[in-house]
Amino acid sequence: MTDSMTIAPVNVRRYRQVRNIVAVWLTAVVLGAFMLDIPKMVMLEHTARNMYFHVPMWFAMLAAAGIGGYHAARYLKTGALVHDLRSREAARLGVLFGALGLATGILWARFTWYEAAGIWWNFDPKQTMAAVGLLIYGAYFVLRSSLEDPEKRARLSAVYHLFAAVTLPFLLYVIPRQFAVSLHPGAEGNPAFSEITYWKMRLVLYPAFIGFIALLWVLYTQRVRIALAYYRLHGETDDEN
Amino acid sequence: MLGMQGWWAGTWAVFEKELRLELRTRYALTMLLLFVLGALMLVLFSTGNETLNIRLQSALLWVVVLFSASIGLGRTFLAEEDQGTVLLLQLNTRPSMVYAGKLLFNIVLMLVVTVLATLVLLFVLSTSVTFPGLLATALLLGAVGLAGATTLLSALTARSNNSGAMLPVLLLPLVLPLLLSVSNATRMSFAGGFGWDAASTDLATLVGFAGSVITASALLFDYVWMD
Repeated sequence: MTDSMTIAPVNVRRYRQVRNIVAVWLTAVVLGAFMLDIPKMVMLEHTARNMYFHVPMWFAMLAAAGIGGYHAARYLKTGALVHDLRSREAARLGVLFGALGLATGILWARFTWYEAAGIWWNFDPKQTMAAVGLLIYGAYFVLRSSLEDPEKRARLSAVYHLFAAVTLPFLLYVIPRQFAVSLHPGAEGNPAFSEITYWKMRLVLYPAFIGFIALLWVLYTQRVRIALAYYRLHGETDDEN
Repeated sequence: MLGMQGWWAGTWAVFEKELRLELRTRYALTMLLLFVLGALMLVLFSTGNETLNIRLQSALLWVVVLFSASIGLGRTFLAEEDQGTVLLLQLNTRPSMVYAGKLLFNIVLMLVVTVLATLVLLFVLSTSVTFPGLLATALLLGAVGLAGATTLLSALTARSNNSGAMLPVLLLPLVLPLLLSVSNATRMSFAGGFGWDAASTDLATLVGFAGSVITASALLFDYVWMD
C-alpha cells in the first residue's frame, strides 16, 4: 500500500514562489475589484463588483469537481490510494468554492432584486443546481465516513462520485424548464458577458479567473501533500478526523 | 466463453430466485405497498378538503413513490449480506448477471408499486385521466429510471456498515431530474394536462436518464460487487 502513496517529490522552493505570486496576484485583484471604476448600471450599481468574486468562485468549483471526478476514475482504474486522497481533497475544495459561490449569489440577488420582497432564496436554475451539487457532496462525505476499510471506502466513494457525475447533466435540461426565470447571463432579457463588460471590468475579471483557479491549485496541492504526510507518519489515512 | 444465451440464462436465474423468494414471503412488496398507502393517506388527509391542482397531485404521488423506493429497494442486496449468500453468487455468476437480474426484479417491483399508488391517488381524488397511454408511458419510464438509479446504490449501501438510512441520503439528490420530468409527464396526462406534445421533452429526458444510469451502473457494478 505504501508504494501506492508515493508521489513525485515536490520542489518546495518553486511551490513557495508560485504560492507567493498567487497571494500577491489575488490581493491586487481584490484591490482592483473594490477601487477601479465600474459603469453604474440601473439596479446593479456597485453590486456589480460582486461579479469579480461570484463568477470565478463558480468556475473554481467546476474545476474542483472535474479534478475530483478524474481522480475517482483513476482510482478505479489503478487502485492507487493516492488518487482517492486527491479526489477527496478536490471534493472538499469543491464544497468550499461551491458554498462561497452560492453565498455570493444569494447576497447579490437579494440586494439587487429581492430586498423589497423580503426574499432570500430565489429558484434560479443555477442556484438550484449549486444547491443540489452541495447535497451530493454531502452524501459523498456521509458515505465516506460510514466506511472503515480504506480500500473499500476509496472504491465505493469513487463509484458514487462517478455515478453522481452521470446524473448531474440532466439537471441542465430539466431545471430551466421547471424554473423559467434566471438572473444569469444568457437567460431571457439578460445580456451575455461580452455585451456588458466595460473594458475596466475585464481588467479585473480575467485576472480574477486566473487568480481563483490558481488559488484552487495552491490549496489543492497543499492539502494533498498534508494528507500524504499524515499517511507517512501514521500509516493510515486521516479520514477519521 | 459465455455466449449471449448463457448470460441471459444467468440473469434470468437471478431474477427468478428473487421472484421466488419474494413470492414466498411477500415481504418487500407488502412493506412497499403499506408504506406508499400510508404516506399517501397522510398527505391526502392532512390537506383536508383543499382541492389539489394536478401539479401538486403528480408531485405528491412521485415524492411518495420515490421515498418508498429509497426505503424498500435496499433489501435485495442487504438480504444477500445478511444470509451470507454473497460469496455463492460471486462464485457462480458474473457481476453483470447479478446486476441485470436484480435490476429486472426491482423494475417489476417498482412497476407494481407505482401503478397501485397511482390508482389509489386517482380513486381518492377522483382525478380523471385524459391521456391513459401517456400516463402508462410515464409510469413505466419513471419506474425503470427509479429502479435503475436505486439498484447500484442499494448494492453500494449494502457494502457499508450502517446502511439503514444511507440509501435515501445517497439517492435523493441524484434523482431530482427524474422526479421533475416524470411528475411533469404525469401531470400532462391528467384532465387539464396538454397531452403527448407537451410531455415529449420530459419523456425524452426520462429515456435518457434511465439509459444513462443503467449504463453507468453496469460499468460501475463490478467495482461494488467484487472485493
